[in-house]
Amino acid sequence: MGLDLRSLADEDVMQYVRRGDARAFEVVYERHSSAAFSLAYRMMGSRSGAEDVTQDAFLSLWRSGARYDRTRGSVRTWVLGIVHHRAIDALRRATVHDKRRAGDEGIEERFEARERTDVEAARREEAGAVRGALSSLPADQSQVIELAYFGGFTHTEIADMLDAPVGTVKGRMRLGLKKMRGALGEGQVAV
Amino acid sequence: MSNDHARWEDFAGAYVLGAMAPGEREAYEVHLEACPECREEVDELRPAALALPMASPPMLAPPALKDRIMAEVEREAALLAQAGPAADRPEAARPREKRSWLSGWRLAPVAAALLIAGVLAGSLLGGGSTQTYEFDRAGAELEVDGDRATIVAENLPAPPEGRVYEVWLMPKGGDTPQPTDVLFVPRSDGSAVAAIPGSIDDVEQVLITDEPMGGSDTPTGDQLMGAELS
Repeated sequence: MGLDLRSLADEDVMQYVRRGDARAFEVVYERHSSAAFSLAYRMMGSRSGAEDVTQDAFLSLWRSGARYDRTRGSVRTWVLGIVHHRAIDALRRATVHDKRRAGDEGIEERFEARERTDVEAARREEAGAVRGALSSLPADQSQVIELAYFGGFTHTEIADMLDAPVGTVKGRMRLGLKKMRGALGEGQVAV
Repeated sequence: MSNDHARWEDFAGAYVLGAMAPGEREAYEVHLEACPECREEVDELRPAALALPMASPPMLAPPALKDRIMAEVEREAALLAQAGPAADRPEAARPREKRSWLSGWRLAPVAAALLIAGVLAGSLLGGGSTQTYEFDRAGAELEVDGDRATIVAENLPAPPEGRVYEVWLMPKGGDTPQPTDVLFVPRSDGSAVAAIPGSIDDVEQVLITDEPMGGSDTPTGDQLMGAELS
């Protein structure tokens, strides 16, 4: 029983989560909750919205751990994928889609993640690289990428919003992502 | 296939960003299965999309959130432990029962009549665009707003030990229920709220069964309730 779950890699901890081990789940939560909450906050624009999405996503992960497939990516990617889907669902369910926009810029309450470990420091560097890659794009490309990924808007909604042809919006998304991929360089950012 | 490709060739970016409407996304995924060219572009663009969460300002999840989540996880883990070693392996917890699933699948006419009454009441009371469909179980309903639906229920029994409730969607004209990733256990007062992911435009019935922890790909347990959409 003396097994230290914290010494195990994510993928191995998931074996225990799958068997209903609450301590193993806690390890996964501790490792990824800040990234999950940060993404949820960025998308929902409010603390309560971000908490709902994060809670929903982690409980879904706990109950559906058996569906995690290590050949299809890291646990972190899987967790963030669940958060992203849940947040898009929540945003699209909200009737007033841009109700949250006001909260986007002036975050009223921020729990800044402190730099705690080497892992956190490395992540910080990666985060800087991603923000750099995103901001190096022409504004019309970064705009559609942010509206789509963080705003949860569909390509047709974005086309309406910008009064641009749908084909143009899709083209900007592809081009922008291609450039980002180039700027990030292969292997520099672990996803 | 080439006609199909012409239709989808510029969708890879929208797809990896999650910017397609639900029905459209599924249709694109069918195309992806058959189109190596589009798959290649999706694979090329995906790493950039997967890196995007890192552009969010870093935040710490509030400690109270962890307390809430862990309380629920521990409650469910205790239920699972009570179920004994058989529940340790969700996949093998129960043999795939060959019970006549589909026979219980279609709602009885009486239940269907109740559902219609429910829809009428819902549309009168709802006022706005929200419609309410009743499940064939008292106190449970499906709230539909546009193409989104949420299950809202009270007085639900706890699922059998070591099991959770799973939501299934029966596509229009289909006879095989499709699994969702919505798995839930009612709160201790028997209430539950579960949002159904994606669009329900092409859904004819919403059904709920009890399944092993982790859920199943085909129904194995008893049906708790169902609702028919018209």
